[in-house]
Amino acid sequence: MSTQKRRNFKIEAFKHRVELDPKYAEKTWKVLEHAIQEIYNHNASGLSFEELYRNAYNMVLHKYGEKLYSGLVTTMTWHLKEISKIIEAAQGGLFLEELNRKWGEHNKALQMIRDILMYMDRTFVPSNHKTPVHELGLNLWRDNIIHSSKIQTRLLYTLLELVHRERTGEVINRGLMRNIIKMLMDLGASVYQEDFEKPFLEVSANFYSVESQQFIECCDCGEYLKKAERRLNEEMERVSHYLDAKSESKITNVVEREMIANHMQRLVHMENSGLVNMLIDDKYEDLARMYSLFRRVPDGLSTIRDVMTSHLRDTGKQLVTDPERLKDPVDFVQRLLDEKDKHDKIIHLAFNNDKTFQNALNSSFEYFINLNPRSPEFISLFVDDKLRKGLKGVSEEDVEVVLDKVMMLFRYLQEKDVFEKYYKQHLAKRLLSGKTVSDDAERSLIVKLKTECGYQFTSKLEGMFTDMKTSQDTMQGFYASQSPETSADSPTLAVQVLTTGSWPTQPTTTCNLPAEILGVCEKFRTYYLGTHTGRRLSWQTNMGTADLKATFGKGQKHELNVSTYQMCILMLFNSSDRLNYREIEQATEIPASDLKRCLQSLACVKGKNVLRKEPMSKDIGEDDVFFFNDKFSSKFYKVKIGTVVAQKESEPEKQETRQRVEEDRKPQIEAAIVRIMKSRRVLDHNNIVAEVTKQLQSRFLPNPVVIKKRIESLIEREFLERDKVDRKLYRYLA
Amino acid sequence: MKKEETVKLISAEGFEFIIDKKAAMVSQTIRNMLTSPGSFAETQHGEVRFPEISTTILEKICQYFYWSLQFASGKETEFHIEPELTLELLMAANYLHT
Repeated sequence: MSTQKRRNFKIEAFKHRVELDPKYAEKTWKVLEHAIQEIYNHNASGLSFEELYRNAYNMVLHKYGEKLYSGLVTTMTWHLKEISKIIEAAQGGLFLEELNRKWGEHNKALQMIRDILMYMDRTFVPSNHKTPVHELGLNLWRDNIIHSSKIQTRLLYTLLELVHRERTGEVINRGLMRNIIKMLMDLGASVYQEDFEKPFLEVSANFYSVESQQFIECCDCGEYLKKAERRLNEEMERVSHYLDAKSESKITNVVEREMIANHMQRLVHMENSGLVNMLIDDKYEDLARMYSLFRRVPDGLSTIRDVMTSHLRDTGKQLVTDPERLKDPVDFVQRLLDEKDKHDKIIHLAFNNDKTFQNALNSSFEYFINLNPRSPEFISLFVDDKLRKGLKGVSEEDVEVVLDKVMMLFRYLQEKDVFEKYYKQHLAKRLLSGKTVSDDAERSLIVKLKTECGYQFTSKLEGMFTDMKTSQDTMQGFYASQSPETSADSPTLAVQVLTTGSWPTQPTTTCNLPAEILGVCEKFRTYYLGTHTGRRLSWQTNMGTADLKATFGKGQKHELNVSTYQMCILMLFNSSDRLNYREIEQATEIPASDLKRCLQSLACVKGKNVLRKEPMSKDIGEDDVFFFNDKFSSKFYKVKIGTVVAQKESEPEKQETRQRVEEDRKPQIEAAIVRIMKSRRVLDHNNIVAEVTKQLQSRFLPNPVVIKKRIESLIEREFLERDKVDRKLYRYLA
Repeated sequence: MKKEETVKLISAEGFEFIIDKKAAMVSQTIRNMLTSPGSFAETQHGEVRFPEISTTILEKICQYFYWSLQFASGKETEFHIEPELTLELLMAANYLHT
């Protein structure tokens, strides 16, 4: 009652109630036993709960608890054995239903019995370490029904048979199934696992092992994956309908192992439909399915990734080493970009933007782009092409997209300094010939390069832009200072003053300029040196252009757009109609190779042949004679004679650039070595090589042999010395 | 009061106490009697006989049921028990699992 009243005082047994009748316990038990029978026979309505409870209460109170408990066990066992006989007798399909019904009845009876014997459950059971009534009822059911020899195997077989039938497409009574499985779970996790789950998983493994074998023989990869995915979903659905939720991971593991893991290699490499074909044909759905299925098994994703990587490397390698492709650098780079776009899209759509896949893609590109030593040159040529003409009429955003893509390829390059070299050359040509389409685009790319490689990388490029700007101002100043009448008849001169060092160095090969031009040049020189003291001007005649007005035989006039060299040659024909090769060479002093090229473009190109040559042949010989071509005609007023556009370098030029790059690398490597040694003081050879490589890898990959040579050179110049004891150690000499 | 909501408790001497089921269910034993599946006589008739509990005690018990409900809902008052009833009440409480 109220807590206040429950003090600790001892209560004697209820003395006046104690009956010493020796038959008392027996009689009372008979009443209860009868009641239990009635309960099992569904006859409980006549029974008085209070009476039964009181009897059980008194039995426990009078120390007959043990008798009551063991009596219960015996009676219940007997009843369950009867029930088991009925269940065993059930025919075929009725077996499960009978089992289910009897289970329901037993549960109800058990509940009633427990209620009647509540006092025993409350006092006798805990103090005597017995199993509580409810649990006892379940255990007895397990031992007498589920584990009875005639039921156990039959039950398991029936359940597995039902699952199998459902797998083959039949509809089964899922409700009944759920109840039976629930019963097994109620009887304890171990019952569910031993009597159902374990065999279920084994049978499933067999089933799927056989099925997957069939599928793989007759389906292509995409088809197979669809089937596997469907099976996997079916199993998960099955679990949610009538199995223990804990079984989900186990059964999916079985399906994954049997249907995917065991056939992974075969699936991926399946002829005509495997991963490679999916990649080639952009089968996003199939790829996504493969990704989500393979992700479930160990090494699944790495399998996909490895195949993708090797496929990428193979196709990439073909692409960059195919001699056909090398003919057109712009197309070459465009193909690389297309390839990248294609796989980016696949990773985005099918591979969940998986970081490891992106990394694999990047490393593959890095691998094969650097397989071709001309990649840096080609990428620069691609940019050149875009900036010359490709970006006309394209919106600013699109320009950014193209440039960003180029930057991405640039990032893959190991020899960034080679790219720089070419980029500088191409940029110089663009700037000097005024061919760049968009200043903004040019600058935007420079900014991108700057963020990628730092100030050093772009400072010279920026210097080139500055020179262009200053030159404009200088020219304005120059013409303002000239009196109008002196310049009226003389040729107009446009000078771009280039800072030495910022621009690609060209060996200064001068040629003899025509007298008219020379005069203007001298004026400019005087003007320029007058405004800037301490400077030196030299003419880069190989980089200029000129516009000439020419009158031909029938009196038709044309404006010829030519290079400076070509201008020099043409001016000679003002005074004579016929000149041979040697005469031209002497008069102009243009280097032989350039001269030949100029003459070729003046005399041998159809439609633009302002000169005539004897003998008529494609090549320029040293004994050839040239005439002014009176019969020249053209639809256009302005005629552009093949100026030298940026083109793929010829083999010797390439060698030369290569050599220059190697030369430029030497001081960089030395600087890196000195920086490292200055901070480390003492270091062994391998570590120096490693650190130098690390420091320089953002620009290029230094060759260890070259590093070694640089170290030796530094030792010679006494920046470093070898350790006297350990010859592999170097010391920094301050 | 509707019949379904009440229960009749009968003492050893035959005295009948009609109280709310809600109150009677303060006793775990009575709760089981009235809610056990399958129909026991008590559930069917809505009455319970206690041949071992005297009228005086059963009355006190019924009072306690109502007091307990109030106590549970936060009304903290004293429940008075006459000393001479203490022992029997305790026995009944054990029986009724109150």
